[in-house]
Amino acid sequence: MPDTPVGELGYEQARDELVEVVRALETGGLGLDESVALWERGEALAKRCEEALAGARERVEKALSEAEE
Amino acid sequence: MSSPSTEEAPWPVRTVARKISEWIDRLGAVWVEGQLAQVTARAGTGTAFLTLRDPVANVSLQLTAPMGLVSEQREVVAEGNRVIVHGKPSFFPGRGTLSIRVDRIRAVGLGELLARIERLRRLLAAEGLFDRARKRRLPFLPQRIGLITGRASAAEHDVVSNAQARWPAVEFRIENTATQGGLAVAQIVEALEILDRDPAVDVIVLARGGGSVEDLLPFSDETLCRAVAACRTPVVSAIGHEPDTPLVDHVADLRCSTPTEAGRRLVPDLAEETARIAGLRDRGRRALHGWVDREQRLIDSLRARPVLADPLRDMARRHEELERLRAATHAAVDRRIEREVREIGHLRARLTALGPAATLARGYAIVQRVTSDDVLPVLRSVAQVGAGDALRIRVGDGVVHAAVQDDPDA
Repeated sequence: MPDTPVGELGYEQARDELVEVVRALETGGLGLDESVALWERGEALAKRCEEALAGARERVEKALSEAEE
Repeated sequence: MSSPSTEEAPWPVRTVARKISEWIDRLGAVWVEGQLAQVTARAGTGTAFLTLRDPVANVSLQLTAPMGLVSEQREVVAEGNRVIVHGKPSFFPGRGTLSIRVDRIRAVGLGELLARIERLRRLLAAEGLFDRARKRRLPFLPQRIGLITGRASAAEHDVVSNAQARWPAVEFRIENTATQGGLAVAQIVEALEILDRDPAVDVIVLARGGGSVEDLLPFSDETLCRAVAACRTPVVSAIGHEPDTPLVDHVADLRCSTPTEAGRRLVPDLAEETARIAGLRDRGRRALHGWVDREQRLIDSLRARPVLADPLRDMARRHEELERLRAATHAAVDRRIEREVREIGHLRARLTALGPAATLARGYAIVQRVTSDDVLPVLRSVAQVGAGDALRIRVGDGVVHAAVQDDPDA
């Protein structure tokens, strides 16, 4: 399990890793310790993705409002 | 007798007359050629009186001839004829006059005259007087026409009336001269000089109606031909003649067959020229109109082209396209973000379902022993820890760190 700090990942990397995390948890067969760690990692990745999307939306809206002035 | 005359001892008239007579007698008999200017031969008298004139110079001699000689040759001895006479110059003391007593008289033959003209023609041609290169152009519209012709002659009328018919404002300076006979050459040459000196005269016409070879002799005269060649003003010959051509025709800058033709050649036809100018002006105007019309059509068609007729249309079209692209981009970005948002939403929901989040939310917590490993073991038994161990407590909204204390109950 790579442990790059979540803040250093790009959106696509974070999302892809989140997909992997969800699939690994669904597949099951992991120990409790590992599951908890994986879940926490997933929460962090999800938060990172939500922030990236919110930033992207904000940039689009800002560009549009500037163009309309 | 031969003592010189003095004021004190003048010679008597008879002496002087006799001396003159002796001097003249020494000349002896001579052959003379000239033109008969006057013939006085009255029937019943014994002697005819004739005047013989030089055809070129204003010089004449008196002749006397026996009536018999004159009456034998009525046709030869007539005024205006060229004749060759043989006679003895004699002084007549009774009247104090000089005359030639003619004993033979004959006409200068036509053949001889023509042969002489031919010789002169060759001479003048050899000198280059007939060269085409010498011919000067006549002015298109003469300022003033110098006309040399007989007084009140048909030739004068023909030249003037024909020129006036074509160009009513034509101006003439007319010099009337003899056009045949002994005085003709001298008078014509003088008239030529007068007209040549007149600065307003820019063309000179020699006009005479037709006539016999003898009548036209002045116009083949060497002096006259040279005078014409020497003129600075262009000279037109208009001698009505046939079939022989007087030499002046060759020397002149333009040769017209009749005075009528000269009148036509001297000036342009006013009506014809006016019509020609009107025609040219008309053509020019039409050509210009045509050009303007053509250019106007070209400009009109260019102006009607969409880019000129509505210069903003193309820009508007581009603007619309830009707006469309911008909207499409916006929509695409929006869609993309929405899709990602949904996907992340799904992932999160699954993560929540898989994880302990719901349990934690109810108040449970996960306690982990902090180790140097990546994976922290979840605390399942008190046997797993001792006093002083570091713990990590995960609750619904975060993490709390704690340490194990000594159990006072143990």
